Amino acid sequence: MAKQSSNPRLPPGPGELIDREKPVEFQFDGNRVTALEGDTVASALHASGVSTFSRSFKYHRPRGLLCAAGRCPNCLVNVDGVPNVRACIQPVKPGMQVSHQNAWPSLRWDFLSVLDRMGWLMPVGFYYKALHRPKLLWGIAQKVIRRVGGLGKIDIVDVPETAYQHRNFHTDVAVVGGGPAGMAAALAAAEQGAKVTLIDDQPRLGGHLRFSPRESADIAGFPGGTGSQVADELVNSVSGASRVRVMSNATVFGCYQDNLLGILAGQDVVRLRGKRVVIATGSYDVPAPFKNNDLPGVMLASAAQRLIRLYGLRPGARAVVAACNEQGYMAVLDLLDAGVEVAAVVDSRPAADGGLPEQSETVRSVEERGITVLASHVVIEARGKNRVREVVLQRMEEGAPAGPARRIRCDLLCMSGSLQQADGLLYQAGASRDYSQAPGSREHWALLPGLDAAGDVTGPLDLASCLMQGRLAGLEAAQAVGLASPGLQADVDAVKNRLTAAPGVQDGQPALSYPQPGPVGKKEFICFCEDVTVKDISQAVAEGFDDIQLLKRYSTATMGPCQGKMCSKALIELCSQSAGRSVESTGVTTSRPPLQPVPLAALAGASHMPMKRTPMDQVHRRLGADMVEAGPWQRPHSYGSPQEECLAVRQRVGIIDVSTLGKLDIRGKDAGALLDRVYTHHFSNLRVGRVRYGLLCSDNGSILDDGTVTRLSEDRYFVTTTTGNVDLIEEWFKWWAAGRELCAHVNNVTSDYAAVNVAGPYARQTLSKLTGIDLSSSAFPYMRSAQGEVAGVPAMLLRIGFVGEAGWEVHAPGEYGEHLWQAIMDAGSEFGIAPFGLEAQRVLRLEKKHIIVGQDTDAFSNPLESGMDWVVRFDKEDFIGRAGLRAASEGGMRNKLVGFVMRNGQVPEDGVPVVAGRTAIGRVTSARRSPTTSAGFGLAWVPVEMAEEGSEIGILIDGKPLPANVTLTPFYDPDGQRLRE
Amino acid sequence: MSFLLNCPNCGERNVNEFRFGGEVTSRPDPEASQEQWSSYFYFRNNAAGVSREWWNHRFGCRKWFLALRDTRDNQVQETFWP
Repeated sequence: MAKQSSNPRLPPGPGELIDREKPVEFQFDGNRVTALEGDTVASALHASGVSTFSRSFKYHRPRGLLCAAGRCPNCLVNVDGVPNVRACIQPVKPGMQVSHQNAWPSLRWDFLSVLDRMGWLMPVGFYYKALHRPKLLWGIAQKVIRRVGGLGKIDIVDVPETAYQHRNFHTDVAVVGGGPAGMAAALAAAEQGAKVTLIDDQPRLGGHLRFSPRESADIAGFPGGTGSQVADELVNSVSGASRVRVMSNATVFGCYQDNLLGILAGQDVVRLRGKRVVIATGSYDVPAPFKNNDLPGVMLASAAQRLIRLYGLRPGARAVVAACNEQGYMAVLDLLDAGVEVAAVVDSRPAADGGLPEQSETVRSVEERGITVLASHVVIEARGKNRVREVVLQRMEEGAPAGPARRIRCDLLCMSGSLQQADGLLYQAGASRDYSQAPGSREHWALLPGLDAAGDVTGPLDLASCLMQGRLAGLEAAQAVGLASPGLQADVDAVKNRLTAAPGVQDGQPALSYPQPGPVGKKEFICFCEDVTVKDISQAVAEGFDDIQLLKRYSTATMGPCQGKMCSKALIELCSQSAGRSVESTGVTTSRPPLQPVPLAALAGASHMPMKRTPMDQVHRRLGADMVEAGPWQRPHSYGSPQEECLAVRQRVGIIDVSTLGKLDIRGKDAGALLDRVYTHHFSNLRVGRVRYGLLCSDNGSILDDGTVTRLSEDRYFVTTTTGNVDLIEEWFKWWAAGRELCAHVNNVTSDYAAVNVAGPYARQTLSKLTGIDLSSSAFPYMRSAQGEVAGVPAMLLRIGFVGEAGWEVHAPGEYGEHLWQAIMDAGSEFGIAPFGLEAQRVLRLEKKHIIVGQDTDAFSNPLESGMDWVVRFDKEDFIGRAGLRAASEGGMRNKLVGFVMRNGQVPEDGVPVVAGRTAIGRVTSARRSPTTSAGFGLAWVPVEMAEEGSEIGILIDGKPLPANVTLTPFYDPDGQRLRE
Repeated sequence: MSFLLNCPNCGERNVNEFRFGGEVTSRPDPEASQEQWSSYFYFRNNAAGVSREWWNHRFGCRKWFLALRDTRDNQVQETFWP
């Protein structure tokens, strides 16, 4: 910060963004920098005398401010741990920590800048050509290139906190770009009654009017004045228009199908859907190629103008301006007004009458202020070590620089004239240029329906035509979204006529005298992101990469952080020149989102996982349950000791929260027919009050889900599905009902009911204390249901036995869940009731060999091989899965799901292989230690020939095959006595 | 993907609200040959062009409907009840 002057700011001017009363302090590479509120990091650093902002990607050359508008890669810094932040659009905040990237030990003395002298070692595509043999070399080279080249580093240890949110907005008309055309479009559409969203990437609306002083007279419906005055008038109207919603500081990074815009607005990623989208993104100037065109101090004229007008900063002390149209001369006037000495204006155009290249008022006033205007001259080189010290000019003779070189001392070189339309979004939206139509008219773009373009993005326009095109786009947008006030068509026609009569297309093309046809220099940069030079491009074309898409991939030009904003135009022109084709037939590289860099964290959005809690969730937490995720649900894994919980169920009574079971209420006279169709079993013949196990298969016969089906009345069934699968099963039922004349309605009632399973030798006694329903085995046998009151609340009881003991599943309205749980706990306390969690349930059901779909089965498992042929009824004429299962039963089985017991007491982990010698022949799906016998046991898939009672299999534990015996019956209560007691 | 689908029940909505149900196939007769069944299980036209498809308005009315969609550019020509 040595060069900091006492007050680097210009006197206050209209339209500046800074608040001179509010200083803000932040740190840059450990030094304190004092800025003003409204400054960007770049403007603040410039004010404190910093001229090198970064080191380039490949050669580590010093780079300074180039565009000052967030388009180029020259000012990437690390801000508070976030890498690759564009300093020129990052507002300063008190206390922020800014540091440089890609330079060591410091930005000013970068050890790796030695690479700049070794460019000859790294010609275009060098990594494709060299480093191939020996193979080992590439591995090493890759690591070195990674370290040396590249952008910022992500700190994976100290991850910065982010709070990105995603939002979805809808609008009638979305206008991208808050310049004159965009504002005119927004106003016109809103005036016709359309809801408009105007998106602009700057802190204040106005576009180029904010920093370039284009002046205009009154134009029909719009006031005249200086750029800033016209902008202020438009902004006033926009803020007065209630139907226009303005998003400032918001970058549109993608235009997707059906007019969906991806927008990064601060901490929000907004998905905006517009019925109509108007692209009014304008244009910007791009660098010219000459030797050392990347030296700090060489910047776009618009960047200098931005520094002056938005931040009250003098861009340099002594400037040379390379101009080739009126805009460049306006920049000269701006520089003079800011107190910059202008050493010369270099104009590539030949002198016309009067010795000037152009007879406009602006050019004349430049001359009147005593500035040397050098017609027919071009800049061929900038010189200086870490900053431009002088520029070298040459005369243009017969289209090429020739004659003696002329040197001019300066510390600022402004490039103006080569204009690039900000057309990335248009290309993304499927638009293409129609070269038969002149630039500057809307017809220049062939657009898909729903999309429009207005303003400078169509070509260089005067202010009046910008406004007119914007207005026309706005009016037509209103028409397109179905708003048609009387007289709208007449308005549209009037504006069209006005545009036809005076198209207002500006003579901006001479700028294309770049790139120079002269000798090609090594340090003429085209792509600042990837350090690609003019020479690299011509060499690549000479090597045969003359297709624009190939040339891009081979040279990596346009592939850096700026995504071709600074170089795609030059690349196309160079490619067409070198390959001897027209620009039109050269085509363009594909524009893809994101158009501007977007942090991955922003795309990821807020990190919140929706989570479902059962009505008894608080009870479990009070009991100290260890909660786990089960699908979208939180469920108790255990309340301390799964072992104890198992014993409680086997010996006394246990209670488990099964509210997470999927529950479907199926009604209608054809409900039974629907269930017959989707389940492998019969259900239309199920008697009212009965419960039946049901298995669902996909049509090729693999197991989809299982659960119970209870017939509540003639035309009503209650279906349970496995936790987490209910949405899929609901869709599955509805799909098979869709388009068929079935009177069957599927209703997902999962969250309506709380449910518990009360099981164990004392389950009956416990529940009997709470209900008048007769629970005796004769009155309420296994697989029956009843409806009545339990603990004073309406409930449905299903007598089923997943865990293998006499037990009831009690379903009650969700709001009574806690009450029901507590009442049962109280009633069971005299019998030693204990709550049990998922782990205990898993062990208990495993002892009964009850499968868990998805744990013991996969997409290849069918019920026959899973040992559940008893639920498959081939006598039904048809059901989903019948043909597949028929084929499976005819084709013979290959594997079977069997039980096994480890011979020496080990417990394999779920998923380990079953082996024969060194070959895996099957796998363990579930295994646990038995709480009663302490043996290791479980379920496994084995080849069918081994699926015999007692046959020996090997199970791989810690790399060793250990012996186990197959068992075909349940490990516990094989006859189901206890279940039915 | 960001295209819009017109749910016959709810109107035009973002495709993210829907579940894709695959192309419409015709289920063979229960007694059809194994070959016909296999082709129904495992083969799809996968047309580069207009495809007749199932869609479910998962985050809306949860109903199934059919759509004619061009798989090359996601232009949806028509949506209707099965």
